[in-house]
Amino acid sequence: MKRLIVLPTSRAGWGLLVAFVALVLAGTWPVIGWVNRATLVMGLPLMVVWSYLIIFACVAVMLVGNHIVERDDHE
Amino acid sequence: MNSVWPLLITLTYVAIAMIIGLRARNGCAKNADMNSLEEWGVAGRSMGPVTLYLLIAAGSVSAYTFMGAPGWAYSKGVAVFYVAIYLAYLALIAWYFGPKVWQFGEQFGHVTQASAIADRYQSPALGALAALVMAIGSVAYAVLQTIGSAYILFVMSGGMIPIWLGVLSVLACIAVYLYASGQRAIGRTNAFQGVLMLIVAWAVGLWAVHSATGGLSFAGVFERIQTEHGEFLTLPGAGGDMSFSFWTTSIIVSMFSFMPPVWTQWMSASSARTIRRSATWLPTYYVVILPMVVVGFIGIFSLPELARADTVALEYAMQHLPVVLVGLLGAGTLAASMSSSEPFIHSVSLSLSKDVLQPVLKLSEGATGKLARLLILPIMFLVVAPLAIAEPGSLVMILLVGLGFASQVLPAFIGMFFWPRASRLGVMAGIVAGFLVTVAFTTLWAHPLGIHAGFWGLIINLPVFVAVSLITPATNAEIVERFFRIAAPRGFTRLGGAKK
Repeated sequence: MKRLIVLPTSRAGWGLLVAFVALVLAGTWPVIGWVNRATLVMGLPLMVVWSYLIIFACVAVMLVGNHIVERDDHE
Repeated sequence: MNSVWPLLITLTYVAIAMIIGLRARNGCAKNADMNSLEEWGVAGRSMGPVTLYLLIAAGSVSAYTFMGAPGWAYSKGVAVFYVAIYLAYLALIAWYFGPKVWQFGEQFGHVTQASAIADRYQSPALGALAALVMAIGSVAYAVLQTIGSAYILFVMSGGMIPIWLGVLSVLACIAVYLYASGQRAIGRTNAFQGVLMLIVAWAVGLWAVHSATGGLSFAGVFERIQTEHGEFLTLPGAGGDMSFSFWTTSIIVSMFSFMPPVWTQWMSASSARTIRRSATWLPTYYVVILPMVVVGFIGIFSLPELARADTVALEYAMQHLPVVLVGLLGAGTLAASMSSSEPFIHSVSLSLSKDVLQPVLKLSEGATGKLARLLILPIMFLVVAPLAIAEPGSLVMILLVGLGFASQVLPAFIGMFFWPRASRLGVMAGIVAGFLVTVAFTTLWAHPLGIHAGFWGLIINLPVFVAVSLITPATNAEIVERFFRIAAPRGFTRLGGAKK
């Protein structure tokens, strides 16, 4: 039991895990350092635009996740 | 401010919230007993996706959105957006863990986070410890929100409603509908408050932009900030105190703080699928933060001499916006603080009754349900009210330590969802070690190397948890299997080996 852990069991599950990790990386250092510029995009600071891109990317990833979970029919 | 309209609008909001809260009990099944933990505590596990979406959204968007966030924008700049990012990550957490927590609750009868911990580790003591210490952070949070509510009533009444009266009035209103309808009242009132906040934030934000620039585009505001105060558009912010490390570790610590009211909200859903659907769309609600933050940016050049940064939105509204919008801002801010304090007061009462007093006093389920309802009164009027009226200077410190602790309970959840070998003593050792480090790095040496104290706590906590778990007895295999049939329906992976 010592070495047993819960990990994804399918390719789709691994894909979702990678997407979740990528989202977290996108909002933290070092990635956040690359968008840390005092420039405006569509009238908003780059950091603000980046924050909302991450926020809506979270929605997109969860929508894909719902599709996978419901296709595989398990909770 | 001489007009009575702002106060009238704010009081009308309070009256509507009370009516909605009191009528919420009508949603119960005919044979439902409001004295039962299932009904009063988790609304009979009946909430649909829209109510749950607004319940979680409004609960997570506190008075911070209307006061603190514009204040941060005013004093620091874009650093404030770490909040929006971690709130979106909390939705990912809800999406993954929420359905499993719901299944635990539905199959094993849990109504609180601490009862799930006590069950998984077969340790009422560990459950009680988690309940008690989580209560510290929860009460501090409720007190801060109550202070915010009283401050709004003070401002909207032009000083006629003193802080002590505001505190008692707001708590009395919440007490009435919380006692009457429990989690159903929180669900319905939060739904109303969530919609109100969204409308008010955008109305106030757009009107403020129009009064400051003559147009409705945020671009005019940010072009001026870029030209005159470029330091507000990047980290570490104008105050120079939001380094990359503090930004990153604050997000991670906040993400892994599984606060008890959120757990109760998940268990109030009508199904596991409902939680997943609500969590999926939850980040969209956080567009509520943007317009209020823009008001903070406007304050940088229009209110440069402000003494208290967190009053920037109210001050700007009172100087530049019509009285109706000032009243709506008061109502929106009050909605934000009430919608956040209610779930915390409810969850403290629920958890202290179920996880501390029931095992100690050997109470029946029925007596515990009645006690949970009544316990909100001493919690509100003997703990929250005196603290809110006294406004102790150390309150924010208590809150930070409390929230720091919340993230230190992480090992309990690792053992519930990922690692069957996690033991009771391992979890306890990890929590105690992490908590001590968090307290030390919050009070004695604040956030060393610009890293959040809670993150330092986790750095110590997790290795201690793993090491002690490996050398102490595991929980009974039958119990572990019961949990992992839900947490890992397709089996485990053996590190360095095959699937099992």
